[in-house]
Amino acid sequence: MILGDLLGRDVYDDGGTRLGRVADARFVVDGVPRQLLAEARLLGLVVSPHSASSFLGYERTGLRQPWPLPSLLRWRHRGSFLVLWEDIVMIGAQGVRLREGFTAYSPALD
Amino acid sequence: MKRGHALTPVPAVPGRLLDAQLHLLDRQVIDNDGVPVTTVDDLELSGPALETELAPGTAAPVLTALLTGPVLGTRIFGGRPPSSRLIRIPWADVSEVGVVLKLGVSGEHLDAGWVERWIRDKIIARIPGGRHDPR
Repeated sequence: MILGDLLGRDVYDDGGTRLGRVADARFVVDGVPRQLLAEARLLGLVVSPHSASSFLGYERTGLRQPWPLPSLLRWRHRGSFLVLWEDIVMIGAQGVRLREGFTAYSPALD
Repeated sequence: MKRGHALTPVPAVPGRLLDAQLHLLDRQVIDNDGVPVTTVDDLELSGPALETELAPGTAAPVLTALLTGPVLGTRIFGGRPPSSRLIRIPWADVSEVGVVLKLGVSGEHLDAGWVERWIRDKIIARIPGGRHDPR
């Protein structure tokens, strides 16, 4: 599938409650080794309750400068969380559905 | 589900983490000679099948290709070009991800640069002096 089709889709829990939208996809380069880089597998999706996409990623880093951009963007993306691939039960035209009892991880990169 | 600052950190993974929007999309791609090739307009994954329930333990999809193509119109008006119009650069050709994405192959033979090559060979080369270095 093409990643652009997934970004911005609604995310629902197993009960049908809307949790937000897919703001980003996180990959980890730990797959089958190749000649140059190893395969990058999908680790999970960053879900943002208040915004359709991610901008500059301040909510995932500890950067504080330049004032006041980090504070504003962190507020814009407040409540973002990372859900792992294992907790995704279906990706469809209606959105992404998560498993019962899924874990919301911190989206922080460091 | 826990909210706010109490979220659990992601379990440690052995490889480098790449967020598509932050580290890959819209980045410039340069070939192994340092020549700009294109930019990353989208990414292609090996799965999953849409509208299909994923059984626990289903293998995660992997990144198969960087996509580039005629996306200016769709960036402005929405949607995306048909999959057949997008040009693929296999992930296996990517050698480094940094401020730019570096390829481990020459860009001279990649489909992504065909417009530039066509203009060079059909137009620039026919201008007097267009076939050699200006120095």
